[in-house]
Amino acid sequence: MSKEITDTTDFANTKLPDFAQLDFLLRCHICKDFLKTPVLTPCGHTFCSVCIREYLQSNSKCPLCLLELRESMLRSEFLVNGIVQTYQSLRPSLIDILDSTRSSNDTSIIELGSDSEGDSYVKEPIDITGEYDDDLQIVGASNKRTSLRSKSAIYPSSTPKTMNRIGKSSSSIQSMFKPTTKNKNLKEKQAQCPVCEGFFPIQVLERVHLDECLTLQSLGKKRKGTTSSLNDQTVSNSLRTSRMNANTSKRSQERRLVTPTPPPPLPPAISYAEQYLNSGRGTDSEQRLPKLDFSNMTTTKIKQKLSSLGLSTTGTKQNMIARYNHYEILWNSNFCDSLNPVDESELRRQLISWDAAHNVPASSSNGNNGGGIISKMMVNRNGNSKENHYKKLLADFKNDKFERKTWIRLYKQEFKLLIKEAKEKMIKKDAKKMTAEKEAALTTDLSVVNDLGDNLSDPDLSKELNVQHTPVQESTTEENG
Amino acid sequence: MSSKRITKELSDMGRDPPTSCSAGPVGDDLYHWQASIMGPPDSPYAGGVFFLSIHFPTDYPFKPPKISFTTKIYHPNINANGNICLDILKDQWSPALTLSKVLLSICSLLTDANPDDPLVPEIAHIYKTDRPKYEATAREWTKKYAV
Repeated sequence: MSKEITDTTDFANTKLPDFAQLDFLLRCHICKDFLKTPVLTPCGHTFCSVCIREYLQSNSKCPLCLLELRESMLRSEFLVNGIVQTYQSLRPSLIDILDSTRSSNDTSIIELGSDSEGDSYVKEPIDITGEYDDDLQIVGASNKRTSLRSKSAIYPSSTPKTMNRIGKSSSSIQSMFKPTTKNKNLKEKQAQCPVCEGFFPIQVLERVHLDECLTLQSLGKKRKGTTSSLNDQTVSNSLRTSRMNANTSKRSQERRLVTPTPPPPLPPAISYAEQYLNSGRGTDSEQRLPKLDFSNMTTTKIKQKLSSLGLSTTGTKQNMIARYNHYEILWNSNFCDSLNPVDESELRRQLISWDAAHNVPASSSNGNNGGGIISKMMVNRNGNSKENHYKKLLADFKNDKFERKTWIRLYKQEFKLLIKEAKEKMIKKDAKKMTAEKEAALTTDLSVVNDLGDNLSDPDLSKELNVQHTPVQESTTEENG
Repeated sequence: MSSKRITKELSDMGRDPPTSCSAGPVGDDLYHWQASIMGPPDSPYAGGVFFLSIHFPTDYPFKPPKISFTTKIYHPNINANGNICLDILKDQWSPALTLSKVLLSICSLLTDANPDDPLVPEIAHIYKTDRPKYEATAREWTKKYAV
């Protein structure tokens, strides 16, 4: 939930709208997010390891082509994994580079890690480009763009246009905490990573890349014995470089800056290529967690099994079984499919958050996650009584007692909005080929909808509504007590 | 995962909405949506607006969303309670499907009913034996309940 929701239509207004296809292809068809630890089916389709394993617990066919599929048939796809990770890390800057028109405010933070290593490095002056900054080295950014960006940064509080931008807009809040105003000029310029020396847009650098680089560095140190010498060399090289004195570093800087006048092509993060080349060696570490036959197990036995894995033993037997099954998915996809598996404790943490969202005993299971966003979207709510009424109606949803009329009355406004939206879309689509007659027909349609609205607001119906409100509120007070 | 995926679908609905349908959450609850479908122009439901209630299970997308018509409709595959007989809402559900695709399928179900797998056998019978009568009744119901 923490991550912003990205969409293939992000490329719609860029110079290369067809990039959306690549963006689409690198997504899992189950979670609709970018593939995470992808696995390949015999029928040639790729899904996130966790997604497809969870699906296969209750089904045995491929979600895309419906051919027979079992968990044992899944194979890791290290190459796709590397491609997706590389793409993901480059995506924000890619969109920005390709985006010719947008001057939005959604990229307004520059914050730099102030660890001593980074500081000592970035404070070196750059003579070549003539641009100089205390905190950063800047390479090639067009003046026009800079001025656009800084304009938008002056008004950091301008509101997001759609909810899709909510995630991005938080960055403008962060921008208010920036120490200096001069940083505004740095938007979308590139900075050098103090660890691997690659050039990245500042956003990518601070959000994604630095963490990755540092993780890789520490991993590289830890795995010194097992991983390839090439990897170690890179890491220690970059370490050394980053600590170099001003002179040598400046020289290397010059070398780098001589050729490219436009922003240098972004080097794909070395880490992914390395990871892929070294893949397959780390499979020795952990054993596959078996599927258990719970029908023959007593509750105490299940508890023993769970606690031996360090898992919680709360809840009903069903809860515990579901917990084990989900842990098995997490475990196997982490230790059997992933190139860089995380620690067991991290898996347990993931399981706990899954537990909280999906595996609570009965009634209260429907999460109100994301409520914040939704409440912003739905402005038409008429306070508590409506909500309670809705809950009461919902109790009968899907059975014969469901009061459709009351439901329609209750959500008259919302439905009207939906109709309006749909009509607009339809009109827009057909506008070109539509004859004048047809258009006239549509306008009558609209007037009919208005009539419907009038009918619904008839006084008898609203009386009915009021009568029905009272018992609902009583029942809620009971719940509260 | 379900809430993330549903949020994603909500954002997709906003960015790239399907023609002649709309959908969005009810109040604060991400798991309960409502939708409206315009009667397809080449069907006896033309001119009508049909409301649907949508209920996402917590294990969505591994389980299909529960969808039912709240507007009365005369259709061989939709019964008096608004329940829809559509394979992709039952055994043919796949997590690769999205709500927007399902709504489009319902739209095409309105255009082309499936009388061989009926939910209301009487309507299916009339549909097969006396098509004009079916269309007249469907049009009448649309006029009465959906406009």
